[in-house]
Amino acid sequence: MLSVGLIEKDVNGDTLWVWCYPSISPELRDLLLSKCCLTQDSRDFHTLVFGQFSRTWYYITTVEVQEPTALNKVTHFSIAVTAKDFNPEKYAALSGILCRMYIKHGSPVKMMEAYITVLTKGICQNDENGSFLIKDYDVRKAYLAGSIKDVVSQFGMETIILYTALMLKKRIVVHHPRIEALLEFTRVLPALTWHRKDWYILHPYVHLTDAELEDLKKCPGYIAGFVDPEVSNRSDLFDVFVSLPDSVITVSQGAKEAMTMGKLHKDIAQVIVQSAEDAERSDSQVIKDISIKTKEVLTNLFALADECEDSKITLEVLKQHHFPPATENFLFHLAAAEQLLRI
Amino acid sequence: MEEVDKILIHALRQVGTEVGEDIDRVNQFTSELIVEAVVKCIRVIDPGLGGALPTSLPPGMSARFRVGMSLAQACQDIGYKGEIGYQTFLYSNEPEIRSLLMFLVEKLPRESSETSDQPTGKSAVLHRAIAAAITAQLAVSWVPLNCRLPLHCKTQSKAASHSFHVHPLSLPHCTKGQKSLKEVKHYQRDILFPVTAQFPSQTSMVSSILEQHTAELSNAQEWDTEWKSQGLLSRLTPQEYHSRKLTRLRKRIEEQLRSAAALGSAPSDLILTKGTHFTHTQKFTFTQEVAALTSPVHTGRQLEGDTQPRQQEELAFLQQQFQQLCSDVEQIAADMKHISVTNAQVFDELKQMELDNVENDEKMQVKKKTIDLLPDADSNLQKLQSQVEASANRVVNLASQWEKHRAPLIEEHRTLKEFCSSKDLESSRKLSEIKSLHEKIQVATEEAKKKEELYKQLVTELESLPQDVSRSAYTQRILEIVGNIKKQKEEISKILSDTKELQKEINSLTGKLDRSFAVTDELVFKDAKKDESVRKSYKYLAALHENCNLLIQTIEDTGTILREIRDLEEQIETENCNKTVANLERILDDYKVIRQENSTLAAKVREG
Repeated sequence: MLSVGLIEKDVNGDTLWVWCYPSISPELRDLLLSKCCLTQDSRDFHTLVFGQFSRTWYYITTVEVQEPTALNKVTHFSIAVTAKDFNPEKYAALSGILCRMYIKHGSPVKMMEAYITVLTKGICQNDENGSFLIKDYDVRKAYLAGSIKDVVSQFGMETIILYTALMLKKRIVVHHPRIEALLEFTRVLPALTWHRKDWYILHPYVHLTDAELEDLKKCPGYIAGFVDPEVSNRSDLFDVFVSLPDSVITVSQGAKEAMTMGKLHKDIAQVIVQSAEDAERSDSQVIKDISIKTKEVLTNLFALADECEDSKITLEVLKQHHFPPATENFLFHLAAAEQLLRI
Repeated sequence: MEEVDKILIHALRQVGTEVGEDIDRVNQFTSELIVEAVVKCIRVIDPGLGGALPTSLPPGMSARFRVGMSLAQACQDIGYKGEIGYQTFLYSNEPEIRSLLMFLVEKLPRESSETSDQPTGKSAVLHRAIAAAITAQLAVSWVPLNCRLPLHCKTQSKAASHSFHVHPLSLPHCTKGQKSLKEVKHYQRDILFPVTAQFPSQTSMVSSILEQHTAELSNAQEWDTEWKSQGLLSRLTPQEYHSRKLTRLRKRIEEQLRSAAALGSAPSDLILTKGTHFTHTQKFTFTQEVAALTSPVHTGRQLEGDTQPRQQEELAFLQQQFQQLCSDVEQIAADMKHISVTNAQVFDELKQMELDNVENDEKMQVKKKTIDLLPDADSNLQKLQSQVEASANRVVNLASQWEKHRAPLIEEHRTLKEFCSSKDLESSRKLSEIKSLHEKIQVATEEAKKKEELYKQLVTELESLPQDVSRSAYTQRILEIVGNIKKQKEEISKILSDTKELQKEINSLTGKLDRSFAVTDELVFKDAKKDESVRKSYKYLAALHENCNLLIQTIEDTGTILREIRDLEEQIETENCNKTVANLERILDDYKVIRQENSTLAAKVREG
């Protein structure tokens, strides 16, 4: 965990950043204020919102203050927790505890005590006669918490486009007007490339501001979720555009060449769909199946690499095997993504 | 009566009747004058009726009689309700004539008196003539050259019309407060041409000036309305409002350009196409357009002639070159692809290594510190733990102290904000008041302008009005008369009330008298049966009563007779004015004349 901050909305309609520990840079502060649903004009109230900025995860929990409390003149408040790891459930639970403490005592001091105990000891007393233990919240559980089956059921065979884009470290942009749907959908996508276990490519909640887009451009491949429908015009930001409400996946012109698919893809797609449609298999089992298939492909690739000197593949080596052109292209780009290409 | 006569005579003079200078009372009018006056009035009031009537009495008696009758009829047609007949004109009397003339003068239409009222003021005449001419000219609509009648030629020029060509003007703007450079001032003062000399041709001068002026005017008006409606509400100074508007517009332009560029660069059907199906192999399969490799042209044909081998050689050579180029292009394309992919890979590797570096750095720091503390592991562990606890406590302590400072500050901030918003309400109310004041000012200035113009107009009209008839004198007199009448009315009502009082008193006294007499009468009569002296006194009482009654009666009769005398005297006076005797004599004379005429006419008829 890195820091915790408190944002309050008072009876005058102002949203202020009232308190934070230990300290948060002004840039991050502005970002968190913009992400907090209290600053946005629409009256949507989101209990939990999380996102990533510069490899820092932030989790914002918002609570409406019901009278009577020790907090007067405050109508809503949000607790923003920043951390290095991706674990929405853990931080949601922690924020819940902190929120309740704040409401009860009306002062952030108690909240801070709890935060420090969690920081130093990894455990904190829950006011509901339990305790919050960090080790209850394993990161793997967070990774597997999303539902891959829903993704497959929404897109069917087109899920292979997402799979290919993720394998080749391309830029995916997802759009949905509701933030909760966006968060739920995007958090499970990195699971398609389970062998990397890199959730830093996930930026589930991005606005079209310069600072955030700069940060996004630093990553070679990412999954970015936008609530703003304007993003569909920004073809400079994506290789694959997913419009969730319409269930449409579009590949941008520049990336079409790299994303061509062949028989190999069809195989993989079938595996994915079959596994997801099987009612007896759970989400984690589906992910396991996909990862097994991925491993197959990667093993083949490594085998090819081993044949060459200094275990780096070149295009000529690939050509020697006379793969079908789509597969050859895919393997070539995959090698680049897995850093197997000779430079 | 004199004033009335004066007014009547004046009105008759205006209508056109030649009333002599010495005549100033209606009873000096002769029959001829009366007839002339009446006919002239009727001619003005109703030209149709008046046209048939002669202005002077004919000599023959019967003709006169006829004229009198027709005049009477005409007056009745116009609407005179009083008793009128030939006698009114031939044998007139003052009151009748006065009432008739008053009626006719009242019936005269007003404009006639006005238009004949303004003869003399020269400047007034000129003004009116100019105004009439301009209105007439403006009323004529513009007609193209070919359709013009002579009517239009006076006001619409025959020169060829020019198209509306606008030439930009360069005007020195006098912006308040801004110091212009010396060079700019010098340029504006010495080098810049005056506006009339800035045009290549004279024809565009008027149109350019008009254009410039309307542009400036509409600009100022628009700014005015915008400022009044939105600018005041935003509570910024004009400069701030300007700058904010500017940034807003720039942002909008940027967005538009960006979206237009995005649409332009990528053909629209690629970005937002509908969903694909896997079966649509077109999208997924690798559609590489293989550069057409021309198969070498086999010249299986028989070579004919000398030039053929040379041509074929050239052809083969060119084909070879072409193939070479194609393969080069392919090679380069493949190279580019390769390089971009490897570039991506390298970038990725670099990033990964950087991150690994940072992580390893951190890990190393921690491990280093742990190794330093390792020799005395247990105690160090204890120390660390206690230190951690101590710093945790300290931090909590600091936090509570900070909270003591922070909470009141936040509270203050919030209360100030509330205060501010309540002030906002006030200020917005004041703003709306200011707006309404602005509007009122505008309305008031417009009204003031209008009233000023009206005032000027009326003043000039007043000056041009004739001075011979002083209306003010008349109005004064009228007001005096009204005042007098009011006083008289008061006096009359006083007298009436006095009379009523007196009458009441008389009644009550009479009643008292009767009652007391009745009582005394009874009393005395009762005693009269017994006593002789009482009987005598009773007789005296009765006689007294009788005589007093007679007295009273006589007094009343005297009063009545006096009243009758007064009435009769009045009647005598009015009848005297009627000059009945003179009229009767005239009537008798005229009667004799008519009889004579009748007899002559009868004799003529008998003869022929």
